[in-house]
Amino acid sequence: MFKSHKSWALLQLFLFIIILFPFIMMLLFSFFTGWSWPHLFPQTLNVSAWSYLFSGNAGVQEAITNSLVIAFSATAVNLLLALPAAHALAQHTFAGKKIVEALLFAPLIIPPFVAMMGLQITLIQWNLTDTRLGVTIAHLVPTFPYLLRPLYTSFTTLASEWNAQARLLGASRLQRFWYVSLPHLMPGILAGVMLSLLVSFSQYLITLLIGGGAIKTLPLILFPYITSGDLRMGATFSILFTAVTLSILFIVEWCLKRFYKHRHTVPM
Amino acid sequence: MFKGRKIQWLSVITLLLLVTGCSLSDPVQPELKANHSWQEITELAETTQVNMHIWGGSEAVNRYLDEWVKPRLKKTYNIDLNRVPIQDTQDILQKLRIEKQAGKKSGSVDMIWINGENFKLAKEQQLLSSPFVSRLPHYNQYYDQTAKDMIFDFGEPTEGLEAPWGKSQFVFFYDSAKVKKPPQTLAELKEWVTQNPGKFTYPAPPDFTGSAFIRQALYETTGSYEPFTAELDESALTRYTSPLWKSLNEMKPFLWRDGKTYPESIAKLDQLYANGEVWLTMGYDPAKAANQIQKGHFPKTTRSFVLKNGTLSNTHYLAIPFNASNEAGALVTINELLSPAAQMTKYDPNYWGEEMALDIQKLSSEDQKRLREIDRGPAVLPSEVLAKHRVPETSAKLVEQLEQGWKEHVAKQ
Repeated sequence: MFKSHKSWALLQLFLFIIILFPFIMMLLFSFFTGWSWPHLFPQTLNVSAWSYLFSGNAGVQEAITNSLVIAFSATAVNLLLALPAAHALAQHTFAGKKIVEALLFAPLIIPPFVAMMGLQITLIQWNLTDTRLGVTIAHLVPTFPYLLRPLYTSFTTLASEWNAQARLLGASRLQRFWYVSLPHLMPGILAGVMLSLLVSFSQYLITLLIGGGAIKTLPLILFPYITSGDLRMGATFSILFTAVTLSILFIVEWCLKRFYKHRHTVPM
Repeated sequence: MFKGRKIQWLSVITLLLLVTGCSLSDPVQPELKANHSWQEITELAETTQVNMHIWGGSEAVNRYLDEWVKPRLKKTYNIDLNRVPIQDTQDILQKLRIEKQAGKKSGSVDMIWINGENFKLAKEQQLLSSPFVSRLPHYNQYYDQTAKDMIFDFGEPTEGLEAPWGKSQFVFFYDSAKVKKPPQTLAELKEWVTQNPGKFTYPAPPDFTGSAFIRQALYETTGSYEPFTAELDESALTRYTSPLWKSLNEMKPFLWRDGKTYPESIAKLDQLYANGEVWLTMGYDPAKAANQIQKGHFPKTTRSFVLKNGTLSNTHYLAIPFNASNEAGALVTINELLSPAAQMTKYDPNYWGEEMALDIQKLSSEDQKRLREIDRGPAVLPSEVLAKHRVPETSAKLVEQLEQGWKEHVAKQ
């Protein structure tokens, strides 16, 4: 018993290290220069990347705001679209269901870039390119299936008898959704929302094509540094990127969990 | 049906919120006419925003634009320079292509940074504005308008569609603590490699620098750059390339790791050099060694050299897309970037350290004096030496043919 406990602790330590290690490397790369063989430790402290980040010239504030507004708007729209879609797919059978399902999940398999060329032409006609709204609409394409999938699973495990029972007890449609379906769907919604936020957060090409640079998001600043091999700037922006995404995920989870708990304690 | 309705309404409300939440600013710029004088262009450009889409992978370039150019434009013309960092100019060309197809008249891209293959493509598909360089006062005053390396971009006539912004040149770097006399020709390099086995290699094409090294070697084995400025047919090409492949294969067993493998990128080769595993490296940037020494990456004893018969050089340019909504602003910005002050600051290694595109002879005597006072350090070759050893690039098509040929005739042997 003790032995397996110990190996479990070791495994935990190992996992902790392999997950944490890249972050430590990133931190070191962002703060130091001149780290080459045969030096075991980095040699010179260099905070210029960080000072650039906070100098106001890098456009970080604007990029974070844009990233957040776009990710949350796209996710909100996704949620409104995915709830009825998942409900229909999970609880009803209709002709051509397989085809509809395949279409809805297509962006997972087909690169969104393919759809983007057509979408760009449409958005140009609607005069929506180079606007935040246009970018938000474009982000719906790659993010939607990530929200649909977990909701779909949640709906399949939602027994329709529960709703029937609530109806017998006199609950209205809205009450049934609010008190019966929603608490059951919550874990699925939570997972889907997070995935949708994350996928929207990491879009580069779509944002560039539709936003045309008028809409700057974090990946737009970050990606050129990474592909050019500027380790220090890349690491610095990656840390910022990770910090923003992680804090968003924590806040969303905290809010939704609170909501979930709250629902349970309120008597029907 | 209540739930469905509700959701529909919610979607409508959300969309409305989104619309109102966005600032749908569509800057309407007065149209620029062909007969507008420079004075009028400047007036049109005042208090506008210029969107500059430029490769954002270099901190030095970004800082130069953000910390020197941007405040200057703001102060002089009240122009807001909006630098949009991009990963690859091809993405922007793709965007422009679709905008052209969809008939979008006022685009968000006012100027782009371009040369070589991308320029050829943009020119062929008519993604650029009408010729503009002769309208720029600084271009007319300070630039050599007959220089071959300015009016031909990888063999393609520029025809005033792009304004020269800067120059790059292929340069080799060596550690003077280990190498006493660096080779001056490819033949000498081969000899050096046999005497110092394992101490030299080059990045495998299609790495940009590795590909340039192959072209550099082709000039050496041919003895001249002249046959390659135009496109060549298959048989002519083979005649020139067989001595090249032969020469590279003879060198192969003496390369790093016996030539069994090559560094996949110039960054890897630089790392090998920094670690002391190889004693020579290279780059399409004469100030690279100085920058790398400053960053603490390269040994302080690193110095530069060029080949006796000259090394590849190219010019990079600024261009205006066909549907730029602020053409006047772009013209004023480009004119400012071409000014002696902007070019000399760019030349300063504290900012970017890049070669100027302007003609040094045309500078005022004070500016020439100022220029001599800019200390680029011992790791950068003097501008005169670089200028004397400059040969033009090959045609854009040959670049790809050589990359393919190297794979077949050298890598697979």
